[in-house]
Amino acid sequence: MFLVPWPARWTRLQRSNATLVAALLLLVLFMAALGWLFSWLPEPIGSSARAFAQGTRTTLWLTLVSGAVGLALGTATALARTSRWVVLRWAARFYLWVVRGTPLLVQILFVYFALPVLAPSLRLPEFTAAVLALGLNAGAYNSEAIRAGLLAVPQGQTEAARALGLGRRHVFLDVVMPQAFKMALPPLVSNFVALLKDSSLAYAIGVVELTNVGNRLQAQTFQPIATLSTVALTYLVLTTLVTQATQAIEYRFDIEGRAQ
Amino acid sequence: MKGRPYIVVDRVCKSFGPQPVLREVSTQFRTGEVSVIIGASGSGKSTLLRAINRLEPHDSGSITIDGVPVGSDEATLQRQRIAVGMVFQQFNLFGHMTVLDNLTLAPRRIHKTPRGEANVQAMALLRRVGLQEHAARYPWQLSGGQQQRVAIARALAMRPQVMLFDEPTSALDPEMVQEVLDVMRELAHAGMTMVIVTHEMGFAREVADRVLFFDQGRIAHEAPPAEFFGQPASERIRAFIGRMGG
Repeated sequence: MFLVPWPARWTRLQRSNATLVAALLLLVLFMAALGWLFSWLPEPIGSSARAFAQGTRTTLWLTLVSGAVGLALGTATALARTSRWVVLRWAARFYLWVVRGTPLLVQILFVYFALPVLAPSLRLPEFTAAVLALGLNAGAYNSEAIRAGLLAVPQGQTEAARALGLGRRHVFLDVVMPQAFKMALPPLVSNFVALLKDSSLAYAIGVVELTNVGNRLQAQTFQPIATLSTVALTYLVLTTLVTQATQAIEYRFDIEGRAQ
Repeated sequence: MKGRPYIVVDRVCKSFGPQPVLREVSTQFRTGEVSVIIGASGSGKSTLLRAINRLEPHDSGSITIDGVPVGSDEATLQRQRIAVGMVFQQFNLFGHMTVLDNLTLAPRRIHKTPRGEANVQAMALLRRVGLQEHAARYPWQLSGGQQQRVAIARALAMRPQVMLFDEPTSALDPEMVQEVLDVMRELAHAGMTMVIVTHEMGFAREVADRVLFFDQGRIAHEAPPAEFFGQPASERIRAFIGRMGG
């Protein structure tokens, strides 16, 4: 945990900023130095360092893009589910029902193979298809986290804001959303870490991400321990850095000082 | 009798499901007047306050504020809510904001007051309720009495014409009731139009221009405090005052 080593006299905000900057810097450094790092590893990794580095970058990029899609979609779905309009509520429930009731692997395969058959214009490149499927999947789970946050904001907060004469938009953006987001943050972080690992399923439609690279090399060299350990370790470093960054964000919102 | 009628309530009815809570309530609140509403819980006192700024839409009858009917038109409603400040039993301060930000949010968003200017105005209000040293704190760091004084200052920040108080001291420990009543007393002396739902009989007797007694969704009796408490109009009122320690 990076939150610990900062000087005791620093404020919560300073610690949070420091951790955030440190984690992001380490992540960028790690990504930049990846090829070089892998090249120091013994065979068969060393000679495939470039492929491993490229695969890791693809994994991270895939996660970030589909994570952003998932967050936007999750927020929209949570709002739709708490909407006044029946049609929106119904559409959101249908989306949740389908996505949460079917395996992610099937969703990825469906988007890549079945969509183009239904509509030829939807013939997507592997990476885009993976982003769409992962984003749709993350959106469903995120929406439940955000909805829980929205429902946990006491009615009195909305009433007080409305009684001051604030319009709907400000009531939501200034009063409800910040408090809902704070409560939704821990489950959202879990979802994001799960997404990072689930992005490995994009391997099934030929996206050359980390797992794909590792598995190919494993098949070529018959050295499963070295190759798969490297893959697992790389995921571990990525999830650790991501969790550090998100914990720093949680800490920033922790105005009551309840985080340890 | 003080000023002109500012809030006019005319035959207002409201039910929660089959349960009627307001039955044809009619009354007027005049400018500069302090009205205290008392009555047993469930008698409709809070519902009337909440109907005035439409946190609880009424079923029939009419409420007008400065001649304009209270309805569902959002723009009109926002203007009316700016003119009518409200203080809640549970304070309802915004927990994720400092005391200062709680006060400046509405002026900054609604009047587009620049932050610096809003801060200066907010600090003046905090001095008025005796909490200028707590401007940078968060609500959870304050006592109940302090939180309620912040809530009063927050409502005052929009310079309302009327202040509604919905049992402002009912959620407080006894030793904190007085500091909140002191702030309200100061407001009343400054000429603020106030409608106060409370169980504080001593305060009602001292500060009110008129006392309204709610019973089963109706205004059962209305009188100036000296008369209301001096010669209770009915056995029911006498018993209620006695129970409340008046």
